[in-house]
Amino acid sequence: MSAVQLSRKEKMLVHCAPIREERVDDRALRLALHRARKTEAFAIQQDFDKAATALVQAIPIPQEITDWIPTDTFIAPTRRAWKKYAQNPAFLATGIAVLVIAVVAIFQLVERMNRFPGEPTARRLLTTASSTHAIMLDPVKTDAGALGDFFFMKHRLVHYDVPPEFAELKTLGCRVFDDEEGQRVGQVWVVEKKMQFFLFPAERDPKTGKAREFSGWRSIEQERWAGVVKEQSGVCFMAAVHGSAKDLAPYISKPKG
Amino acid sequence: MAEEKQDLLQLYRFCFLMLADAAKAEEVFHATLRQAAQQAANGEPPRDRLWFFRNARWRCLEAGERSLQAEDVKLAQDELAAWAPSQIKKLEPQQLAVWISGAPDPQRTALALFYLDEFNYRDLLSVTELKPLELSKLLCDGRRQFQAWLDTTFPVTQT
Repeated sequence: MSAVQLSRKEKMLVHCAPIREERVDDRALRLALHRARKTEAFAIQQDFDKAATALVQAIPIPQEITDWIPTDTFIAPTRRAWKKYAQNPAFLATGIAVLVIAVVAIFQLVERMNRFPGEPTARRLLTTASSTHAIMLDPVKTDAGALGDFFFMKHRLVHYDVPPEFAELKTLGCRVFDDEEGQRVGQVWVVEKKMQFFLFPAERDPKTGKAREFSGWRSIEQERWAGVVKEQSGVCFMAAVHGSAKDLAPYISKPKG
Repeated sequence: MAEEKQDLLQLYRFCFLMLADAAKAEEVFHATLRQAAQQAANGEPPRDRLWFFRNARWRCLEAGERSLQAEDVKLAQDELAAWAPSQIKKLEPQQLAVWISGAPDPQRTALALFYLDEFNYRDLLSVTELKPLELSKLLCDGRRQFQAWLDTTFPVTQT
């Protein structure tokens, strides 16, 4: 046996060391015992304890005691030790990783569900909206609903109609321009909330050339601008406003005939 | 269930070590089991096996108070000896129980629980309601006092 010097804490733990190895489930105790096993004093202590334990186990059990032992358990079923698992660093790390993956997956799923044909164009036009000044448009003061005829008559743009939900809003100006992809875009500036409307061709299937339809209103947000988009007869209409989707919600919540 | 049966057998041994009296140990054992059964019937069964030992501990101490009390004297201590196992082998379980039951509490509880060899370090601290340093000192002193008693009872020349 080598003359290993145990620290005060190690000595304290070694004095409480369980006799059976499987009872040693404390890390600090295990470390203390690892060092103590190199000492003669600990070997003597263990022999002493083993002898005393053997004597205790030799205490006879009266028949009355054995008879009294119930067949059913009295102890409450163990609750799930989720707190114990939660405190384990490995479980904690795995849990956090799974949570992050789940959040990302849900985020992507929600984003994908909100996608619609023509969304890239709509996003591009939101950028256009943010950089447009009223002065860039031809002054036109009328109801937005009346501009459908104007687009058709002057620019030969069919079905460039403002939906009924926004048709009654008063306009300040409008223009028609070609976007990056050469598509004809109608832009309208209205008085209310300095809102802008865009009318542009719906996305088309490259094989069949047919417009990709979608039903109802879809919303997009980008750099503090929000838009609601609807497709009808191969043309998309987007109302854009500087703010959030909540600002546009009242207009589209009650469909008008 | 086999584990619980083993626990209950050890519970009786614990009571015996605390009281050094088979009849009283049996009484405490039965009282403890009766209370557990009542609680279980009321839908509040004991949470774990430690409940049985805590409950029996206080019953043993209460029963101990009604009998002869050990005098509060400072016992002699000896270094643990390599020949201690051969000295212990000469003892009857009853003698060990008399020695342990004569110790003041909480040393009595600490020694009785420790030598049952049923508990890990944390369980021991929980049932004895001691701090680690206190438990360590009580066990260390207990061993040395027991060694001194062994040396007196079975002098080295006899071993």
